[in-house]
Amino acid sequence: MKTLLTSVIGLLIGFNAPAVTAQQETTIGDANVGAQLYYDHGCYACHGYSGYGRVDLNNTGSPWLVNEEIFRAFLRARANVAPVLPSTSMPNYPANALSDKGVSDIFAYIRSLPDNQPDSADIPALRTILESAEKREYKP
Amino acid sequence: MSSKKHEHTKDPSAHKLDRRGFLKGAATGAAALAVSPASKAQEPSAYRASFTAPTYQQMQRDAGLVEPPAPDGRTVIRPGSDLMVQALKDMGIEFVASNNGSSFEGIQESIANYGSPPNHRPEFITALHEESSVDMANGYAKAEGKPMAVMLHGTLGIQHASMSIYQAYNSGTPMLLIVGRDVGFIQAHTADDMAAMCRSFTKWDAQPTTLPECIDTLHEAYRQAVTPPTGPTMVVIDIELQKEEAQDFNLPQFRPTAIEGLDTATAKTIAEKLLNASNPRLETGMFRTPEGIEAAVQLAELIGASTSTTSTAGPMGFPQRHPLCGPGARSNYDYVLGLEASSPDLSLRRPIVNSITSQRDVMGIGFGSLREDYVPTPPGSEPTPLAQSQRQPQGTVLEIDAQTSIPVIIAELSRLITPAKQREIAQRKTRHTRANRENFLATLRAAVEEKKKGWDLSPVSTARIYAELWPLIMNEDWCLASPSNFSGAHHRELWEHNKPYSFLGTQGAAGMGYGPGASAGAALAARSRGRFVVNVQPDGDLNYAPGALWTAVHHELPMLTVMHNNRAWHQEYMFIQYLAGVRGRGTDRGHIGCVLRDPFIDYSKMAQAYGMDSEGPIEDPALLAAALGRGVESVKTGKPYLIDVVTQPR
Repeated sequence: MKTLLTSVIGLLIGFNAPAVTAQQETTIGDANVGAQLYYDHGCYACHGYSGYGRVDLNNTGSPWLVNEEIFRAFLRARANVAPVLPSTSMPNYPANALSDKGVSDIFAYIRSLPDNQPDSADIPALRTILESAEKREYKP
Repeated sequence: MSSKKHEHTKDPSAHKLDRRGFLKGAATGAAALAVSPASKAQEPSAYRASFTAPTYQQMQRDAGLVEPPAPDGRTVIRPGSDLMVQALKDMGIEFVASNNGSSFEGIQESIANYGSPPNHRPEFITALHEESSVDMANGYAKAEGKPMAVMLHGTLGIQHASMSIYQAYNSGTPMLLIVGRDVGFIQAHTADDMAAMCRSFTKWDAQPTTLPECIDTLHEAYRQAVTPPTGPTMVVIDIELQKEEAQDFNLPQFRPTAIEGLDTATAKTIAEKLLNASNPRLETGMFRTPEGIEAAVQLAELIGASTSTTSTAGPMGFPQRHPLCGPGARSNYDYVLGLEASSPDLSLRRPIVNSITSQRDVMGIGFGSLREDYVPTPPGSEPTPLAQSQRQPQGTVLEIDAQTSIPVIIAELSRLITPAKQREIAQRKTRHTRANRENFLATLRAAVEEKKKGWDLSPVSTARIYAELWPLIMNEDWCLASPSNFSGAHHRELWEHNKPYSFLGTQGAAGMGYGPGASAGAALAARSRGRFVVNVQPDGDLNYAPGALWTAVHHELPMLTVMHNNRAWHQEYMFIQYLAGVRGRGTDRGHIGCVLRDPFIDYSKMAQAYGMDSEGPIEDPALLAAALGRGVESVKTGKPYLIDVVTQPR
């Protein structure tokens, strides 16, 4: 119960947490092990192989990624039959399905994901799309 | 013979028709045939059929080891099937797609040999599976707004085709399904009432018993298919009718359907409301044909109304970059006219409206309520159907064809409009034009910032496929024929959808296996019209019916297939993951039954096996643009091309 309470408090803090950037927090996890777990557990299904997907992980300012404890609580607090957090399309992860060590490793991997958002002006295709849209007039 | 559900009256209250009513109407239409002098409706079988296994002789014939008997041993000079093909010509049918079958060999032979030149309008299109042939008809009709025909071999062909027919019905796609029936052959291939197998998802069917009835029913099937609410129709034709001597039977002239529009009194009322409104709004949906779009453009320009579009979600929508397309200068619309809109009041429910009052005047024309509502797509999100609780359309809806009605409204407007009103409208159009342009570009800029995420990472982001492809085709006459919901639908924000066929929308019933056939069908329409078809092809979907690739090669169809190869039936994977999580069992076994690995499938080799030029798999995003360029150039020379791109899941 104490763990759950701590988690909930952590989550409440997390709700109001300012956006953080990667590498701000230290982690005890192993990113290499986490990469395999990220793949094995199919995290990529929604979050992409590199943290960009249906739900981005990179630079989102997500309160659930503020630190490892909150991340763990996020996974665990939704694991009960009547989860603390409202149900979303994010699966639940009780400890018997994903160990604390596994959570730490995945967290470390998420932290290691590259921030790949080049300047759109440096991407020829995107630049062409914008420029042509500005020049183009509608023709039936 | 016509179905009662299309007998509209002048009373607006009589135009109410919901989805249930549509289905009921379909049943009424079928029932009406029972008393039709021109055809024989089939009563449901009162007994449980007991089939006997094919005899040795029947199997020998099916295997081509025995000559089929000539009818009555006579030489047929003017076979009935020639007249059937002539009827298809008279109706303007361009193509008949089919996986061949002995029960319609009479018609197939006539397509091949009758007419000058033979095998031309209609041309026989060889499909490797009935599901593909119906999907082709679906893609063709969505692009052109008119039916093509499909031939199916008895009970087997119908069952192979049934899923695609179901999807076409859900899309409201008109098509003419011809089923061959051969009572004297293998019993399991025939039935007393074959159309019954898919009667609940076809609009109309008939089983004629004489050659004159057959021609009549073909004509009526076409009329029923194109009369709104449009949909697939089916005619079951006995092999003996195809082979019998027509002698001096005089082929009746095809009479196109007369689709009813608004009466002038109602049109005048609408015209007055449009003129009296300070900020009228047109809420448009999917029109029947390109002529409907032209009419809507004419109306928007005449009245200076800002106009919505569904062109990023499906075919036959208002042109996206038309100066009046967009939210307009102000969103306080005081009169909204729906034209085939799923809900004519959608503009009043969208986030762009900052003040909504129940006093707004809302009216709709058309059958758009039979379709799904879709909320506008903010950059970076997927299109989502409106929640059921939100689907309570406001205002009056007249269930009558909008396309036919618009010219009547325009005629009334032209009569009522004054020079002073025209000056006011001109000023409004100027304001709307400026606002819509700014809105489009702002949305595009936001989208570009979203789409650049993970640009250089491998596997390739789905956004990069659409972004790299657009500059290569934006100056072509292009058509995106495949559904895009699984590949991120990035074209909705990055591309400009200005043609009736720019985007052909979803599968209809979210069924898999649709993409290759529908794209080939759209490419059939494109081939003689100088168009260019793009098929962004999910891997799971392709594996249901890849034979459509061969059809594209065989018939030299201008089709570029770009694989969205995420090596999974990915949506189901996410469902299983979630359920495993809910049950507290972890997600590390969620891939079982959902992923396409061990081994990976090589789609480039698959295409090559069907004779299609191809390359890939491409995992390095830096190689993508050049590959797409080669694909575009190949298709422009008339050779379909496939590029296998290993992608992010979504």
